[in-house]
Amino acid sequence: MLLDYDRLGWLRAALLGFTGLVAAFLLLPVVFIVLLSFGSSRWLAFPPPSWTLKWYGELFADPAWLEAALTSARIAAMAALLAVVIGLLASFALVRGQFRGRNVLRGLLLTPMVLPVVVFAIAIYAFFLRIGLGGTTAGFVIAHTVLALPFAIIPITAALEGFDKSIEDAAIVCGAGPFEAKLRVTLPAIKIGIFSAAIFAFLASWDEVVVAIFMASPTLQTLPVKIWGSLRQDLSPVIAAASSLLVLLTLSLMVVTALIRRKLSK
Amino acid sequence: MSGNLLHRQPILRRPDGIGGALPALTLVALFFVVPVVALLLRSVTEPVPGLHNYATLFGDGTYTRVFFNTFLVATVVTAVTIIVAFPVAWMLAIMPPALGSIVFGIIILSMWTNLLTRTYAWMVLLQRTGVINRTLMDIGLISEPLPLINNLTGVTIGMVYIMLPFMILPLVGTLRAIDPMTLRAAALCGASPFEAFRRILLPLSLPGIAAGGLMVFVMSLGYFVTPTLLGGTSNMMLAAMIAQMIQSLLNWGLGSAAAFILLVVTMALYALQLRLVGAKRMTGGI
Repeated sequence: MLLDYDRLGWLRAALLGFTGLVAAFLLLPVVFIVLLSFGSSRWLAFPPPSWTLKWYGELFADPAWLEAALTSARIAAMAALLAVVIGLLASFALVRGQFRGRNVLRGLLLTPMVLPVVVFAIAIYAFFLRIGLGGTTAGFVIAHTVLALPFAIIPITAALEGFDKSIEDAAIVCGAGPFEAKLRVTLPAIKIGIFSAAIFAFLASWDEVVVAIFMASPTLQTLPVKIWGSLRQDLSPVIAAASSLLVLLTLSLMVVTALIRRKLSK
Repeated sequence: MSGNLLHRQPILRRPDGIGGALPALTLVALFFVVPVVALLLRSVTEPVPGLHNYATLFGDGTYTRVFFNTFLVATVVTAVTIIVAFPVAWMLAIMPPALGSIVFGIIILSMWTNLLTRTYAWMVLLQRTGVINRTLMDIGLISEPLPLINNLTGVTIGMVYIMLPFMILPLVGTLRAIDPMTLRAAALCGASPFEAFRRILLPLSLPGIAAGGLMVFVMSLGYFVTPTLLGGTSNMMLAAMIAQMIQSLLNWGLGSAAAFILLVVTMALYALQLRLVGAKRMTGGI
């Protein structure tokens, strides 16, 4: 009864209603910001007196926004690539390795996800100042790779655990070298995990703001830092326009992910 | 052929060693462990060696108020998140897949949307002249705008919003794992729906609630962006205080001591969570 959708009775209506409200609550800010970006009111009145594209015009007229977005994309792509390669190698050791301290190692590699990011932010900020990487692209990429690594390791180890190693062994018996067997048998089999890892790692860097706030320099700032700076000045609708483009990006990423996952799993 | 097979046997038996993990280990050791340890050393060496930074943090009313406030916000956010998430997770666990996938889609969309974007939306929605206050005044429920931002209310709304997916998704897994027959048996034995909920469904879902709740609590303790933008100066949280000490006051000793306290509390709760649910189940969510 309580776990039977068809026999819940009046409770079903209540729970459905509540779920609908929560779904609306979750959707509200996302939809609201997109509507607002087309509103003509500078003071973000809603509903706006009329509709306009001028905030998008202002957004594209300011090269700083585009530059920040490109910086973010560049750093996120590099961090994601590094995190996936390093994470893939580590996952083989974590899933199949037989050595002491394997669980400690797993815990250590996942810690950057759990530790409050502000602690890591000030630590790496101080460290980079000392070794001369502060405010550099390399510094950003390294810091973001550390933060993205757990997001790469989790889906890859999960995929690897679900893969039957005897298939790889069979390839070796049939004459493939150990490396060739991994490359041509194992990697294609866990491609969904690797693909998820790349997406998560990219997003972990693309959306990261706390480390970026500390590390940003006047000449090098990521998109979240640019948004953060604008937010502290005023709540200009230009931010709504930039935010709407980010929502669009998220939506397309979700669609592409769903399509590719469907294709890969065939 | 058989000779060949025997020859290759050692390769098959040889397990992967620690070797593959070396790049990851080097990266994390060099750019995570070393900087964090160096920071913690700073807390007992700057400006002079000793524990005076910790004495200051625990002795000064301003700082103890920040600690108290941090725990208060994390507790309130966790409690509200659990209460809101449970019915949704319950429904999602038993809903027809077609309907459920819509709700799942909304949850994932909100989770994937840029954090600052969502927080910005709440800043606009909650401000004095914002849509929520405007609407409430237009329909005559209130005559003065409610103070919804720069206070605990604003932080709670914004944080619960961020944390809900992290509570709902693991809870759905827990609820799905419960055998519906146990509840049918309870009904057959004469239990009222309320009794079946209180004595079977709720206890069986407690591990999921505890795991999700701990995760939300830990995340809330160290959160920086949302509390900074939606909270006021009078209810500053620990992460914002640490950032301020380093960025504006350049007080590295005090800042790193505060960071150390946050780190210890977080790691202790993380260890507790691992013991409660095990690393696999906790990280299996993504």
